[in-house]
This record gives sequence, structure tokens and C-alpha cells, in this order.
Amino acid sequence: MKRFYSLTIGWFYPDLMSTYGDRGNIIVLQKRLQLRGIKTTIKKISIYDSSEIIKKCDLFFMGGAQDRQQEIVNRDLLKQKGKFLIKAIEKDIPALFICGAYQFMGRYYKTAEGVKLQGLGLFDIYTENPGTYAKRLIGDVIIEPNDSIFKKNKPVFFVGFENHGGRTYLFDQKRAFAKVIKGYGNNGIDKTEGFIYHNAIGTYLHGPILPKNPELTDWLLQKALEIKYKEQISLKKITDFFSESAKKTILRRFSV
Amino acid sequence: MLKNIPIIFLSKLLNLFIKLFSFGSGSTWPGEIALRLNNYIIVDILKISPLKLILVSGTNGKTTTVALLKKILKDSGKKVISNEEGANLINGIASCLIKNMSITGKLNYQYGIFEVDENTLPIALRFFTPEAVLILNLFRDQLDRYGEVNIIAKKWSKALQTLPPQVKIFLNADDPQIKYLGENLKAEVFYFGVEKKLMKKTKLSHDVDSNYCPNCNSKLDYKLISYSHLGDYQCRNCVFKRGYPMTLKAKNLRTKVKGLFNNYNITAAFLVSKILLSLTDKDIKKSINNFLPAFGRQEVIEVRKRKVFILLSKNPAGFNQSIEVVKEIFSKEKSNVLLVLNDRIPDGRDISWIWDVDFDRFKEVINYFYVSGDRAYDLALRICYEGIPKEKIKVYQGNIKKALFQIINNTAEKKKLIILANYSAMLEVRKVLVGKKFL
Repeated sequence: MKRFYSLTIGWFYPDLMSTYGDRGNIIVLQKRLQLRGIKTTIKKISIYDSSEIIKKCDLFFMGGAQDRQQEIVNRDLLKQKGKFLIKAIEKDIPALFICGAYQFMGRYYKTAEGVKLQGLGLFDIYTENPGTYAKRLIGDVIIEPNDSIFKKNKPVFFVGFENHGGRTYLFDQKRAFAKVIKGYGNNGIDKTEGFIYHNAIGTYLHGPILPKNPELTDWLLQKALEIKYKEQISLKKITDFFSESAKKTILRRFSV
Repeated sequence: MLKNIPIIFLSKLLNLFIKLFSFGSGSTWPGEIALRLNNYIIVDILKISPLKLILVSGTNGKTTTVALLKKILKDSGKKVISNEEGANLINGIASCLIKNMSITGKLNYQYGIFEVDENTLPIALRFFTPEAVLILNLFRDQLDRYGEVNIIAKKWSKALQTLPPQVKIFLNADDPQIKYLGENLKAEVFYFGVEKKLMKKTKLSHDVDSNYCPNCNSKLDYKLISYSHLGDYQCRNCVFKRGYPMTLKAKNLRTKVKGLFNNYNITAAFLVSKILLSLTDKDIKKSINNFLPAFGRQEVIEVRKRKVFILLSKNPAGFNQSIEVVKEIFSKEKSNVLLVLNDRIPDGRDISWIWDVDFDRFKEVINYFYVSGDRAYDLALRICYEGIPKEKIKVYQGNIKKALFQIINNTAEKKKLIILANYSAMLEVRKVLVGKKFL
């Protein structure tokens, strides 16, 4: 590895889209970079900030939120920041979109009241909420990421917690992020979870997702460095942070 | 009422059985059975009783505030009943009423002070009209069970709008969503808050839920912050702002309940009792100063010559406030802490919120971190990422008893130690510490 790497993480709407402990994802990204001696800058990108910051970022993160917050964000994303974000993703810059943020990336979101909200259209997906009285999809989730992301020798599982009313449908199921082992995933029917496009991942997993799944954290970081420095990167291994034991708590609960 | 006598009899009998065979405290089932036999039993009971009701809701502080109000009212000579903590659904209220009435349906009390679960408040208000409603705050808590805070705020707003002018509503003006509930109501509204002197922060922390205007969705500007999203705010776009709520001078109080969040509970209890009963400030303050913390809320239990502090900590706002209290208690010497996290139904199955807790503020006052409960490894992982070295973390997953035994053994006699636990974990901790088994 070269001696001085640095990485800028763009954190979208931290004051609006950060409901389910999603801040933990940022803590983990930052810490794992620091431990490898990589200089890290976190840029918060909220509605009153200029879209220009987006051009300076090497990795993006956006968390989940509540309906009211989502309304505020959706307006800003469609009118201002969306086109900059799309450009970056098309250039292979990695990104992680959780829950509400994931839904935004699709073509549209039909609310519980039946109102169709336009999405960014980055992902070939759409989301529909079957109504206020339909069951929310809530609970522990175990997923197995698709081969396209993790070329692995032994099976890898990711664990998390999902809590969403909307059901997301993929135009092409092969482009799902993962397969559902336990839980609901995108819609509770087709066993798909999340979506992947270039190096951008959309998923319903809270928990937050990254602390208990360091394989995914390091995948995002490695991709970000490789795209930025245009070279092969292999990240130094980090000894366990109790993440393996914490993950096993959930795997054991469902005998996976 | 005659038709209810057999129901009351049956319900009381059930309560007796539960007590006799120690199936529990009988705080929910007797009421549940009565409600299934007559859905309107509470309405029927209240129709023939002079009982005045005070309902207390909000995310944090319900149990302490109800206990405070009960103490103040009792000290003033009133006869008061209240539901047991935890039994804050409709069946808990029914259980409490039935338990305290005679078999002929006579209820010989003047006030019923009930803590009411966030989702239950709108249901309760459909059944009966109380004398007063007090709403303390609204934070993210058990999102898998309660849903998002905006949805709760909407439900509350709808329910409060149905209340007639004679009802008195007490709201926390420092919490924007709670302040906003007071707009356009028929009922009379009173606001409370804390002194600006106690608002020491100027920057919002990350665990906030309501920093956008509930009226127009623009960002709120905060001049000062007490904690989380509570403070002195003003909308940058419309006229919505905190205003001038009633506050208490903290220096005049010598209370045993610590922490800024308890200042809110105390001020709320003060205002409610003053308005409803016209008591003198002096009398109310005397009751407040003699008040002892409620079950598991800064409760101190002496175990083998060690002073064990138990702080119920079940959501980010509550947990962060507990950390502040710990820093207050242990400003001079370092101590050991036991953190216990369960993910059972009463706790909420989702534990993501521990990543919204500022564990780094803990570092300077803690020697060793003991972690236990169903999700001990998640806690260990969380605090490890906050820079606490692995050697200082001791994990006892699923074995609270062993964790307690170890932390007590490794803490010197006469020293204090702290336990922060979420709901079912706190009950388990108390059971072990208070029970005879632990010697």
C-alpha cells in the first residue's frame, strides 16, 4: 500500500435521515480507516449545503428516516443533489443506502395513502406501501450476499434488523444485493434483499448493518480506495471487535 | 352498575388467586378479564365515582412523575390511587380501579394518577375525560413497537383536540413537538420547561428527532439546549417558538433525584399540583425534597456493603441522560459499571439505538465495563468502537447473575457501583439483587 491514503465520506442528511442508530455505520467506517492509518474526512451533506461537496466525496452513506423527514429530503434530492449523486455512482463510487434512502433510489414510492412519490430512478426498483393497516415488516434478518459482490470460499452471512412498511420490487431479481435466509427482505415474497448497481448498495438492514458485518464495511472501503487511487488495494486485517460473537448471537437464534 | 358487580367480583377473585400463588403482581390480568366482559367497565366505574383523573404520558419520566405527583397529593391530604409502573395500558388502569374499589363498586379516592403508554393515551381519551393530561416529552423509543415519533405526535394531537374546555393540559414547551400539540385546542393549556441557566449546550447532538418545525418543516434554530432536542428554539421561517413556559429555580430544591431530565419531571409535577389543587409553593417543595426515587430509577440498593445504583436506560435520550447522572455521582473517583441489554418484547426487539448513545462520555469515570443480557456482545462491540480497550470489557452474555456476582466481587467494600439496564434487564437485575438467592 502507498503510504498516505485519504478518504472523504459523504454523509447525506445526518440531521434528517438517521433514525435507527444508522450513525453507527459512520462510526465503524471511520474507525476502520483510522486503524489502517488512512486519513478520513466526514462531510455532512444536508439540505442547506451546496451540491458541490458531492464531487469531493469517495464514498456515500444515507440512513433511514421517518415519513415527515423523507418528504423534506425527497424535495432536496430531486431538485438539487440527485443529479450530482447519480453522476458519482455511475463513476463507480461506492455508496450505502439504508431503508428510506434505498427506497428513494428507486423509480417511485407509493405511500400508505396511495400517493405516488417520484424517486431518483438510479435503481431499477419501485416500492409500494400496501396501506396503513398492512403489516409492517419487522424483525431480525439474516441474508446471504450475492456472488457478484463476495467471491467467497465459505458462506458469508450478514445480520441486521428490518422495520419497513413499503415493499420493494426489482425489475431484475438477479440484481438483488442478497438472498433472504431469515426475515422479509425487499417484499417478504421473492426472497430478495436490497439492490446493487455499480458499487452502490441499497438495503433494508438496520442494526446498524456495518458493525456486525465488517466484511461489508471493508468491501466498501476497499472499493472506495481502488476507485480513488486507480490501483488494487488489499486492506490490512483488523482483529475482531466482538463482531463475530455479536453476529453469532443472531445466527444461533435461528440455527443458521 | 349492577351488571358490573359479578365482573368486579370475578376480577377481584382473580387478583386474589394471582397473589396467593405468586403468579405476578396482578397489575394487568384482572383488568383485562373485566374489560373483555364489559368493554366500558372503566366508563361505568367512573360514572358513579367522584375520582378525578390525571393522565401522564411521554417517552421518558412517566413513572417518576406519577410517583412525584402521588407524593405531593398525598402529603396534602388527598386520597390517591395510581397504576403500577409497567401496567400502563388500559388493562392496567382497569386493574388499578377494580383492585381499589369495594365489591359494591364504591371507590373511596379523590384522585387517580395514571401513567399511560404513548399508544394508549389516544385510546384512553376515547373512553373517558380526565381532569388533566400531562405530556412530558417525545423521543425515539422502541421504533419496532411504537413506530416513528411523528406518527405518535399526530395521534396525540388528534386525541387532545377532542377534549372539552374544562380539561387542563400540561405540556413541555422545551420539546418542539410537544409544544406544538398545544396549538388550537379547546382545552386550557399550561406550559413548563427548565430555566435557561440549566441549558448548557448550544449545539444539537446527533440523537435528535424533532429539530425541524412541526408547523412548516423548516429547520429550527436553537439558542440553547438542555438535552437531546429540548431547549430554547425558534423556527427560522414561521412564528413557531418555545415561548415563556413556567420554570422552577433549581437552587431552591434539595431533591434526591438527579439529572436535568428529572428537573423536567419535578417542574411538571409542581405545575400540575399547583394549578389543580392551589397548594403553596412551600408545601409542594417540601414534598419534592422528601421524595425518594421510584423503582429502578436511580434506585440505590445496598448489597454486601456496596452501594449499587440502578438506572433504567432504555432509549438513546434516557441512556445519554443516565450517563450524565453517573458523571455527576462519580465526579471524584472512577467506578465499575454493568451494562445490561435485553431484546425481549417489552424492551423492543430492535437494539440499533445503542449506536445513538454517547458512550465516549463514559470513559473518564469508568474503570471496567461489565456487559450482560441477551445482547451483551452487541454492547461490547459498541463500546469497543468507542475506543474502550478490549481488556477493560468483561462479557457475560445471557448470565446476569454471574455478571452481578463478578462486578460486586471486583468492587471494594463501601464503594459505589453502577448498573444501566433496559426494561426487562432492570427487572432481572433487581430480582437477583433483592431476592434471597443472592448472598
